[in-house]
Amino acid sequence: MEELIRVENVTKTFVGHTALDGVSLTIPRGAVYGLLGPNGAGKTTLIRIINRITAPDRGTVWFDGHPLSPADVPNIGYLPEERGLYKNMKVGEQALYFSQLKGLPRAEAVRRLRHWFMKFGIEEWWNKKVSELSKGMAQKVQFIVTVLHEPKLLIFDEPFSGFDPINANLLKQEILALRDKGATVIFSTHNMSSVEEVCDHITLINKSKNILSGSLADIRRSHGGNIFEVEVRGGREALLKALAGAPCTILDSTLGDDEALSLSSPSALKLHIPNDEDIRDVVNIINNSASMRSFREVIPSMNDIFIRAVAGKL
Amino acid sequence: MGKIAIIAGREFNEHARKKSFIFTTILMPIAFLAIMFIPALMMNVQSDAKHEIVVVDQSGKIAPNMYDTEAITFTTSQTKEEALATDKSGIFGILIIGEDVFTNPSNVQLLTYESSTISIESEIVGQISSIIEREKLSGYNITNLDEILASVQTSVSLKVASLEEGGTAKESSSMLNIALAYILSFLIYMFIFLYGNMVMQGVIEEKSNKVMEVMVSSVRPFELMMGKILGIASVAVTQFVIWIVFILLLGSAAMGIFGVNEMLAATTAAAPLDPATLTAAPAMDSDLAALLTTITDPAYILRILGGFLIYFVGGYLLYAAMFAAVGSAVDNVKDVSNLQLPITLPLMIGLFVMISAMQEPHGTLAFWFSMIPFTSPIVMMARLPYGVPAWEFGLSVALLVVTFVAIVLLAGKIYRVGVFMYGKKPTLKELLKWARYKY
Repeated sequence: MEELIRVENVTKTFVGHTALDGVSLTIPRGAVYGLLGPNGAGKTTLIRIINRITAPDRGTVWFDGHPLSPADVPNIGYLPEERGLYKNMKVGEQALYFSQLKGLPRAEAVRRLRHWFMKFGIEEWWNKKVSELSKGMAQKVQFIVTVLHEPKLLIFDEPFSGFDPINANLLKQEILALRDKGATVIFSTHNMSSVEEVCDHITLINKSKNILSGSLADIRRSHGGNIFEVEVRGGREALLKALAGAPCTILDSTLGDDEALSLSSPSALKLHIPNDEDIRDVVNIINNSASMRSFREVIPSMNDIFIRAVAGKL
Repeated sequence: MGKIAIIAGREFNEHARKKSFIFTTILMPIAFLAIMFIPALMMNVQSDAKHEIVVVDQSGKIAPNMYDTEAITFTTSQTKEEALATDKSGIFGILIIGEDVFTNPSNVQLLTYESSTISIESEIVGQISSIIEREKLSGYNITNLDEILASVQTSVSLKVASLEEGGTAKESSSMLNIALAYILSFLIYMFIFLYGNMVMQGVIEEKSNKVMEVMVSSVRPFELMMGKILGIASVAVTQFVIWIVFILLLGSAAMGIFGVNEMLAATTAAAPLDPATLTAAPAMDSDLAALLTTITDPAYILRILGGFLIYFVGGYLLYAAMFAAVGSAVDNVKDVSNLQLPITLPLMIGLFVMISAMQEPHGTLAFWFSMIPFTSPIVMMARLPYGVPAWEFGLSVALLVVTFVAIVLLAGKIYRVGVFMYGKKPTLKELLKWARYKY
């Protein structure tokens, strides 16, 4: 896939600590790219480097095939995690101000703002002061301002914080719609379920290093650990009988407290089939002695992978 | 540059639309004019009131020669008891002149029903003294005494002119120079403080609001800083221009109402001068002439107003950049005190040197502090009304500009690092260390 951003061996040191240590990653054009990691891992520093707010000590960032330059900044829209608005300015006036700073001519900015305000149903806020808005309302305005100039690259840092589920969903739809229109999105969050919903690629940064990178589907599959769930008619006894002699291990639900590994029904079991065994053999054995309702690979949640990766147990 | 203009525009709108701005813009010139004209007004009001004084002259020689003035009417009475017995209404007091007043001039008493005023007392003392002097002089049997006295009476009026290069003398008014030097240099001091603080508070607000975080992705911190500084500068210049127009309008209106003389008397009263000049009317007239020629001289106006604008803008930019750097380093206004010292200290020194420079505008102290860029806006402004050699002015402005550029670059570097530093109170040393960071 064609790349929009390539980060090559980027290192950034602050007095006393290394924020990024030789981080490399590639962000495909048109992807929703999840940038994950525990607090203090270096995500914000990486985002600031991509935004040219700060410069790396070593390494290069490539944007659209050339080294990132100041001319690229107007092509980036950034919604920081810590964000604020001028409290004493009116909403519309303020949105216009930020849009003009992004280089939009005034008339065009007004046209687009009207459009977005209609879309979010907030037209009547135009002449309200920001201090009258709730946190979620202010976030909506900030979101609009971030995407208004239709940049090639959008960076969202915890975009859903402060939103109720309905508005979070609205925002999610808008982010995906922007992606469909051709924007590339970098999405930094701790909320793993939203990562599963919107991201197609991720990078996991821990302790200043890139510890996991790739497409979300590949990562989840490759960290499946060859665990399968099988369900038959007639309960677990029949299944246990059928499995006797099959080339697999039956996993006891009591072995781990991991939610993904727990049994979902009394007629189901989890199995571990080693890599060198043929899955068909196991399926055949079960099939011969019980009536099978389902057989599927257990794909771990991002939450799971995140916790295991950060703990170094991947 | 485009972005700096947008940011400056927002700053201008935010501050110029504030009620406090409109308030101070209108109130300041009114207060200023009030200080100048209230004395004139009071004089007008005072002269309306008549004070009746009953004179009990035991010597018999003083009372017949006392004359009424605009403010005082004298009536006579034979004895103190009789004077006390008369109707008190409308009577200011009783003046008792002792029998032996010619040999014992302190035997004069004024008993008043209300509190006495200096002007009434000095009028009485003046009249009695001159009557006694005259009586004593006539005791020497000089012929034509009245003619001699009339021809002897002299009132000196001093015309002051400054020698320009080339030998032409130009009339100047030291009263005007002192007033302008003091008012304008103090205005510069005040403006730098006021508007510099406005910059600092704006930066702190943006940082603690996290607006900064949103801005830095589309604007370089340096542009943000410069936009803020220039926006507030335009607020200040606007305010200044409104004031000038306002003062000119009100001033000319006031001239029409009170007449030039009262106004001048009022300005003299306001200036810390010998009160004797108040009564020396002929001296006033020549001072007035000098003042009028001076304030209508376009070269003089240009020098003063131009100098004011150059030093105000230069000084403001220099200090505003430092204020911005300090503001960027802290999370709230309470933490600025120790970082502000390098800003407030030179400003205070400038103010102190300015006061001495007004007395000795061409002294060594005044010269050097009008070259040092951190004090030159205040000190040089105090020297300008007296006339300053062109090279001194040029050198001082050049030094100011160079320092301003250097400080803005330094402040920009500190600012860039500072705006992302949360939760710690940095020291000055750390601030300077930030300036060396790679961005």
